[in-house]
Amino acid sequence: VSHLCQSHPGGEVPATGALGPLPSSKIVCFSPTAAPAMPRSQSAESSRREEEEGACISQDPADPESLLREELNKKMAELVQFLTVKYVTKEPITEAEMLTNVIKEHKDHFPLIFSKVSECMEIVFGIEVKEVDPSSHSYVLVRTLDLTYDGMLRDDDQSMPKTGLLIFILGVIFMEGNRASEEKVWEVLSMMGVYAGREDFIYGEPRKLITEDLVKEQYLVYQEVPDSDPPRYEFLWGPRAYAETSKMKVLKFFAKISGTDPTSLPFWYEEALQDEKERGQAGAAAGDGATSTASGSSSVTSAASPALK
Amino acid sequence: MQGSTRRAGVMTDVHRRFLQLLMTHGVLEECDIKRLQRHCYKVHDRNAPVEKLEDFINNINSVLESLYIEIKKGVTEDDGRPIYALVNLATTSVSKMASDFAENELDLFRKALELIIDSESGFASSTNILNLVDQLKGKKMRKKEAEQVLQKFVQNKWLIEKEGEFTLHGRAILEMEQYIREVYPDAVKVCNICHGLLIQGQSCETCGIRMHLPCVAKYFQSNAEPRCPHCNDYWPHEIPEVFDPEKEREAGVSKSNRRSSRSRQH
Repeated sequence: VSHLCQSHPGGEVPATGALGPLPSSKIVCFSPTAAPAMPRSQSAESSRREEEEGACISQDPADPESLLREELNKKMAELVQFLTVKYVTKEPITEAEMLTNVIKEHKDHFPLIFSKVSECMEIVFGIEVKEVDPSSHSYVLVRTLDLTYDGMLRDDDQSMPKTGLLIFILGVIFMEGNRASEEKVWEVLSMMGVYAGREDFIYGEPRKLITEDLVKEQYLVYQEVPDSDPPRYEFLWGPRAYAETSKMKVLKFFAKISGTDPTSLPFWYEEALQDEKERGQAGAAAGDGATSTASGSSSVTSAASPALK
Repeated sequence: MQGSTRRAGVMTDVHRRFLQLLMTHGVLEECDIKRLQRHCYKVHDRNAPVEKLEDFINNINSVLESLYIEIKKGVTEDDGRPIYALVNLATTSVSKMASDFAENELDLFRKALELIIDSESGFASSTNILNLVDQLKGKKMRKKEAEQVLQKFVQNKWLIEKEGEFTLHGRAILEMEQYIREVYPDAVKVCNICHGLLIQGQSCETCGIRMHLPCVAKYFQSNAEPRCPHCNDYWPHEIPEVFDPEKEREAGVSKSNRRSSRSRQH
């Protein structure tokens, strides 16, 4: 029986994964330096060994400072666990919630704990703790990676997971000038053997997936084309698509799967570049205003793309 | 680093993606987790060789250790399928659930848990659980509401329901075994073979020792006259079928042959 729990030295491990005693000393050091609280590995057999890197000091129970550090480490671990649950339930989290449920008596240390936890979430889980409302101090958890909208578990190696379908649609929307008619989207999907109304082994019913599920997940916007009679519909990128990925990433994906380079699609590459620049500037401190030095060709593309952000 | 066989784990996007997806699903069977691993490689590091699952998970666990989180492997009690879940190690109570459920809901779970542990079969009937609704801490809950909460537990894979009775899902056992052993040391049952926590299983009618169904299957494999390992009396129960990953793989291959006939070109 292969075992995954490190604290078991050699030998047989119970099949149901019974846990050994809880480690009594810490590995992660909550030192006052800026070093990220990264864990060190340990040999499977020995008991905890001394920390040897950075400013980390081994435990001395009599030392109040190290006791505090231990407490803060514990709070940090608890907050990480708290956030991993919230990530699954997809609810926004407020600072008040974190203080009441986790931090409790250490609320003076909240900024420090929070910054370490944010760092940890990014490094370990690839999840960003993003502030969405500064007035109420509420946060959401977003993946720092590309899209992971996922229902992929029943696929096999040959087929594309649902994520692929989504990226595909985002790509179509992008290349159609940031809005794609419903007809266009179905045309492209039919090339993949995906048809509206035909239950797909992997995607389920595609129409529901793209007009309802992905819209609910905020990856897509599905709206009526203004002044269309009879009413026609179009797709646009949803706010979550903008938050989780970018035009450049989508372009690179397409280039990769077609075995080419993003630069071989110059029109869209320019637009993606412009998008990257704007994102970079949005991150920088405000003040300069829109100093986007549009080159000749990109001014054309920026006219073509409606202000969707 | 001292001469340890494994260096500190390094998190790459492959591992992060894996963690995110495992978190989202809560608990996964082994075949699904392998698929998940391959998916993560495909998306983030197409050319890298897919690391052996055990090493891959050990790598991640070495990083998670200081957060008191771990990817733990267990086995389903009813049919012996290997499962994996992300569990909190420093469980002071039903902590993962604590962020997700209200106080009275958690108490309902605790009551159900107690009934399950005390029961002979490892199952608690819906009726018996619902009869305890008046004793719950927190906001008053009606029986109708409690029925829905029980269904929520099933959906989130904390409980399994079978014919109106509830038992613990493998995920709950993985996550809460330590808590259960600490809080209910007298009521807790243990498997005679693997010494793990036992909720469902078979027991010897003479001496009372218990074994998990998969442990029974493995222990008595191809034994025409099964006898109790403790008192040597005849083992009175039917020996269950043991989960065989090879058979599963064959079934999976024939399934994927059907699927690949649908062309997916891009």
